[in-house]
Amino acid sequence: MPMFCRRNVLSGLFILALGVPAFSNAYQLFVANLILIYVLLAIGLNVLVGYAGQLAFANAAMFGIGAYATALLQVHLSWPFYFAFPAGTLIAMAVGLLISLPALRLSGLYLALSTLAFAQFTQWVFSHWDNLTFGAGGFKSPPISFAPLPVSKPVGLYYLSLIVATCVTLFAQNVVASRIGRAFVSIRDGDVAAQSLGIDLLGHKALAFGISGFTAGLAGGLYSQLLNFVSPEGFDLFQMVIQKATIVVGGLGSITGSVLGAGAIIIILELLREAKGAQEIVFGGVLILFVTFFRRGIVGSLQQHFRGWDEPLHSARPIGSALPSQVRLGEKESLS
Amino acid sequence: MTDLALAVRGVSVQFGGVHVLDSVDLSVRSGEIRGLIGPNGAGKTTLLNVVSGIHAPGRGDILLDGTSIRGHKPSEIARRGLGRTFQTSRLFRGMTVLENMMTGLHRRTDSNIFSAGFRSRRAMAEEREAEHAARKSLDFVGMAQFADRRGTELSFGQQRVVEIARTLISEPKVVLLDEPAVGLSMNRLAEFDLLLRRIRDEKGVTLILIEHVIRLVMEVCDKVTVLSSGRVIADGDPNQVRNDPQVIEAYLGKELRARYSAS
Repeated sequence: MPMFCRRNVLSGLFILALGVPAFSNAYQLFVANLILIYVLLAIGLNVLVGYAGQLAFANAAMFGIGAYATALLQVHLSWPFYFAFPAGTLIAMAVGLLISLPALRLSGLYLALSTLAFAQFTQWVFSHWDNLTFGAGGFKSPPISFAPLPVSKPVGLYYLSLIVATCVTLFAQNVVASRIGRAFVSIRDGDVAAQSLGIDLLGHKALAFGISGFTAGLAGGLYSQLLNFVSPEGFDLFQMVIQKATIVVGGLGSITGSVLGAGAIIIILELLREAKGAQEIVFGGVLILFVTFFRRGIVGSLQQHFRGWDEPLHSARPIGSALPSQVRLGEKESLS
Repeated sequence: MTDLALAVRGVSVQFGGVHVLDSVDLSVRSGEIRGLIGPNGAGKTTLLNVVSGIHAPGRGDILLDGTSIRGHKPSEIARRGLGRTFQTSRLFRGMTVLENMMTGLHRRTDSNIFSAGFRSRRAMAEEREAEHAARKSLDFVGMAQFADRRGTELSFGQQRVVEIARTLISEPKVVLLDEPAVGLSMNRLAEFDLLLRRIRDEKGVTLILIEHVIRLVMEVCDKVTVLSSGRVIADGDPNQVRNDPQVIEAYLGKELRARYSAS
């Protein structure tokens, strides 16, 4: 096994992540925590879009629902974070399963459109149901205390995020390497053939939506604590673009790609803060660069140039073969 | 009745106003290799689609091993033991050949998201068994050396053979093959009758194949059914069907039929 292989690099990143609070300032710790939250988002979205091939746009909304639910349970019902966080996560997952119901009959652009409509509806609820959500201005959520552990809130939250992100990464890696991951990819690559092998389309699509809702809910709960402030604009369409960018830049259909993509996108966005007004423009340029020249994302490039980066269901592609089918917009299989 | 692996009873299908299938009957005995031939547009693929549940029949019933499968979902019908392949290659492009084969085992395995996510002992054992079965099944069709290649690296004919193996791996009772010989090299075509017979004899699978390579149909099929314009126009052993005037007419038209029988 070569030194610079997937397993070694991920382990190295994990060890690096363990040490971050020791050598970083408050801002750097914040960014590192944000990266962990986006790792969660990217993994869930990649399972849904990259593996199962469902072109859905509701992830930002589910992220918001996780954040709102966690924070509102604390504010309205005075639940402690340790109950509100799992409850908020389960609520986001339930919503994910709920939106999978219409999605089970739709595909391609129709699915994209209906999930976008759902996201807009969620935005509207966040902004206008003043009694519940405190309206467009947002609200403060109470910071958690890690007492009796001798850690400050930012450090405690960072390690909590690291534990959650690491567990989800390992769990997702195992799931996609199993018959479930193969069922997801078979639905993406040919739903008619998948059914002819006895694979239940509806059940597996619902499962993919449930997984993405679950991880988005986890991310939302942690995010509400990271900012201690929740407002609708954090979960708008631009949020969705950022999340899609993490999986496209990292590599569709790859858990490792989700991790690397989340890190890359957040670091790029933070570096671009210096550029102020140009932030969106440069960010757009980076995305265009990737979809044009690195269509298989960071992981695809690593697989091409280094050994030991192959993953289950995502191995190096021989030079000259067709581009990935990944998400085919609205293209229905013919039945012949 | 139970020795009928597949029975199609008075099945009709209309697309718009067009009768694609018009009260079609088909009885295939267990262990039989049945050929399904007919001119283009006769409704052969539609018949396979109806049997495998992709289209619902407007009228009629379909019995798999004596039980009605009418109105069931394709995945449900597959789980009851019906496999099929398609006219074009339907290998999953993002997977290696081995992963494709293991996907074929989906209905024979049962680890769920928790046992898979936590790598339970059973899930891991199941995964190893699946890989073993996949390699064995590839070996059966002579494609073992391609296990770790991507499907897209294989020739079209090789992909079709892998697809047949992917269907067989879940031990179906009946397999529908839609033009399996298309794209096969001459070498492979020569061995193909043998492969079909081995599938029947060693795996105990009943085969129904649509095929335009008439030599293959005549060699390998126990019985041949001829469809034309959505109707069964002949049904019987290959030689009898070959000389049926209605069949000749369906393929060649009336005038040529006259010339054909005159010569």
